[in-house]
Amino acid sequence: MNKERVLVVEDDAVMRRVLLLTLRGHGYDASAAATAREALKHVETRAPDAMILDLGLPDMDGVEVAAAVRRRHELPIIVLSARGDEQQQIQALDAGANDYVTKPFREGELMARVRAALRKPTALPERSLLEVGPVRLDAIERRVQVRGVEVALTPIEFKLLYLLARESPSIVTHQQLLGAGWGADRVEDVQSLRVYVKQLRRKIEKDPARPLCLVTALGVGYRLVPPDASVY
Amino acid sequence: MAESVASIESAWIRSVPRVWLQKVAPYAIAMAVVAVSATVAYLALPYSDVADGAMIHLLAIVLLATRFDLKVSLLACVVSIVTFDYLCIPPRFALEWVDPKSSLTFVAMVVVTVTISALNERLRREERTARETAFRAEALHRLNLELSGASEPEHLAAVTTRHLESLFSAQVTVLLQAPGRSLERVAVNAQELEHAERAWARREMVGQTVESGTMIWVPLVGIHECLGVVGLRVERAFDKDSKQGRLLSACANQLSTAIERAQLSSAVHRTQLEAETERLRSSLLSAVSHDLKTPLSSIIAAGTALSTRRNELEPEIVDQLLSGVVSEGERLHRLIQNLLSITRLESPTIHLRPTPEAVEDILAAVLRRMETRLGSRQVRADLEAELPLVLVEPMLIEQVLANLLENAVSYAGPEATIEVCARRQTGSLIVQVLDDGPGIAESERHKVFEKFYRGRSSSQTDGGAGLGLTICRAIVRAHHGRIAVRERPGGGTLVEFTLPSVLGLHHRALEPASPVLQ
Repeated sequence: MNKERVLVVEDDAVMRRVLLLTLRGHGYDASAAATAREALKHVETRAPDAMILDLGLPDMDGVEVAAAVRRRHELPIIVLSARGDEQQQIQALDAGANDYVTKPFREGELMARVRAALRKPTALPERSLLEVGPVRLDAIERRVQVRGVEVALTPIEFKLLYLLARESPSIVTHQQLLGAGWGADRVEDVQSLRVYVKQLRRKIEKDPARPLCLVTALGVGYRLVPPDASVY
Repeated sequence: MAESVASIESAWIRSVPRVWLQKVAPYAIAMAVVAVSATVAYLALPYSDVADGAMIHLLAIVLLATRFDLKVSLLACVVSIVTFDYLCIPPRFALEWVDPKSSLTFVAMVVVTVTISALNERLRREERTARETAFRAEALHRLNLELSGASEPEHLAAVTTRHLESLFSAQVTVLLQAPGRSLERVAVNAQELEHAERAWARREMVGQTVESGTMIWVPLVGIHECLGVVGLRVERAFDKDSKQGRLLSACANQLSTAIERAQLSSAVHRTQLEAETERLRSSLLSAVSHDLKTPLSSIIAAGTALSTRRNELEPEIVDQLLSGVVSEGERLHRLIQNLLSITRLESPTIHLRPTPEAVEDILAAVLRRMETRLGSRQVRADLEAELPLVLVEPMLIEQVLANLLENAVSYAGPEATIEVCARRQTGSLIVQVLDDGPGIAESERHKVFEKFYRGRSSSQTDGGAGLGLTICRAIVRAHHGRIAVRERPGGGTLVEFTLPSVLGLHHRALEPASPVLQ
C-alpha cells in the first residue's frame, strides 16, 4: 500500500523538522515547503493527500493559500495557528480548510486530526447516505436514524445535521451552518444556532450534557465525529 | 380700528386711578394726619398749654417725615404750622402771633421736619445700597456654586450665560478661546466678532452699538491669557464702573476662574495618569523579566547538558531533562499568554465582541486543553441542567477557567479534588471553581486579585508571574460580572464569578416543531 503523502507548509525550520519527523514516524510520506509559493507549486506537481498549513507564512496570507488550494483541489487542509487568532482560524475554515490545531499542540492531537482527515473519502458532492458514528442520514428520503432508531428532526435541524455529517470530521464554522440552516443573509444569529445544536444533541447524544458526536470547536463552529474519536 | 382705540382707551382709564393713587395718596394721607393732629390739639387746649399743642403737631409731623419724602413732609409741616397758629396760638382764629417765642417754635418744627426727612432719606438710600450689595453678593454666590459643579468649559459657559441672562435680562453670548489662540466663531456676525476680538486682545470691556441697544463685550481674563469673551446685548449701555458694570465684571471673573480651574485639574489628571502608567510599566517589566528568565535558563541549561553530555547521561536523566524542557516551555508559554492578555484587557480601547455561548462547551474545551496539566487529577463538573447561554467572548472565559484550574493544580496539591459548578440566577450565571487544598486566608482573599500577588505557600510551579487572578478579574469585569474568593465550608478554596446570561429564545418560537417526514 502506498504511503499517504502529507505536505507540511511551515516557515520555521525547527517546527518544520519536528513535523516531518513526527509524520514520518507515523508512517506518512511527508515533505515540506517553507513558503506559500513552494507549497502551491508542490500541490500542483506532486498532488499530496493532505496538507498541514501554518498560517504565519512570510510571503502570503495563510488564508489565501488555503483558498487558492481549495479552488483547484479537494485535499484536506489542517491549519496551524497561534492561540488567540480565532479570526484567522475562522477565515481559513471559511476559505476551505477542514480543521485547525492551535500551537503549541500535542503530537497526539495533531496526528489524530491527520488520521481523521485522511479517512474522509475524497471528492464527494451530494451523497445520499451519510454515516458518522451512530448517526445515519438519508439525504433523499430526509430521514435520520440514531443507534438504529428513527428520530424526528425539524427541517432546519436536518439541514444542520446534514452539513455536519457531510463535512465530518471537518469543522463547520458558525457562518457556514447559519448559511445552510437559514440562508446566506442571516449570518448574525449565533444564538439561534446554539439553541438548535442543543436540540440536536438531545436527539442524537447518549448524554446531551457530555456531547461526544456533535462537538464544539470553541469560538469557531462545530463538527460531527464518531464518539470513539477521543481527541475532540 | 375702532376696537383697538377702545382697548387703548380702556387701558388708559384703568391705569389712571393707579397713577393718581401713587402720586396723590401721600399728600392726602399727610393732610388727613395734620387735620387729625390739629383737631386733637385744638380740643386739648382747655386742659393744656400751648406748648403741648405744639408737641402734638410736632408728633404728627415727625411721624409723617419718617414715612414720606421731603416734599410731603414740608407741606405737612407748613400746613401744620398754619393750622396750629390759626387754632391754638393767641390771638386765635388769626394768622398772627403775639408771643415772639412762637417763631422759635415754628422754626424748630421746620428744622425737625427737614432733619428727620433727610435722615429718613439717607436711611432709605443706605438700605437700598445694602440690599443691592446683598443681591450682588447672592447672585455671585449662586453663580459660583453652580460653576463649581461643572468641569467642561462649554458647560461653565452655559451656566454663566443662564445667570447673566436672568440678572441683566439681556441676551448673552459666550465666545471661548479655541485651540490656536483665537476666538471661536460661534453665532456672531463679522462686526460683532471684530468688537469681541478687540475686547479679547485689549483685555478690557468694549461697547458696540447695535440696533435695539448696545452690545457689551467683557473679556474673560485668566492668569496667563485671555480665555474668551462674554457678550451682553442690553437696551441701555452702562459704564464698567457702574453697579451693573461691576457686577458684570465680577461674573466674568468667576467664569474665568472656573475655566482655569477646570483646565488645571484636567492637566493634573493627565499627569497623574501618565505617572501611573509609567509606574505600572516598570513594575510589570521587572516582575516579568525574572519570570521569563527562569524557565528560559532551565531550558538552555537542560538543552546544553543534553547536547554536550548526551552519551554520558543515563536514560532516566535524559528523560527528566527533556520533560523539564517541555514543561518549562509550557510554563513560559502560559506566562506570555498572561502578559498579552493583561495588556489587551487593560488597554483603554478594549472592545469585547461577545456571542451567546454554552458554559458546558467552554468547560469541555478547557478540560481538553489542560489534559496534560491536570494529569491524573479528576475535575468534577456539577452543572445545573438547562443552563441559559451566556453572552461572552468564549476564549476569554476559557482563559478564566484555565487560570482558576491552574491555580487549583498549583496550590491545592496532587491529591486534591477539583470541582467546577454552575447554576443560574436571574439575568446571570454563577460559576464556581473549588478545591479542597489549603485554601486562602480570609485576610488575603481580596488581595489575591492584585497584580504580581503570589500566595504565601507559592511554589515554583506557578509560572504566571502572579497575574492569573488579575486577568480573571479583568475578564470577568469586562463582561460586567463579579469575581470573588469565598469561604468554603469544610476548608479549601472557592472562587466564584458571574457572567451575564442571554434571555433565551425558545426553540418553539423559531419554527414549528414538525418532523421532516413528508
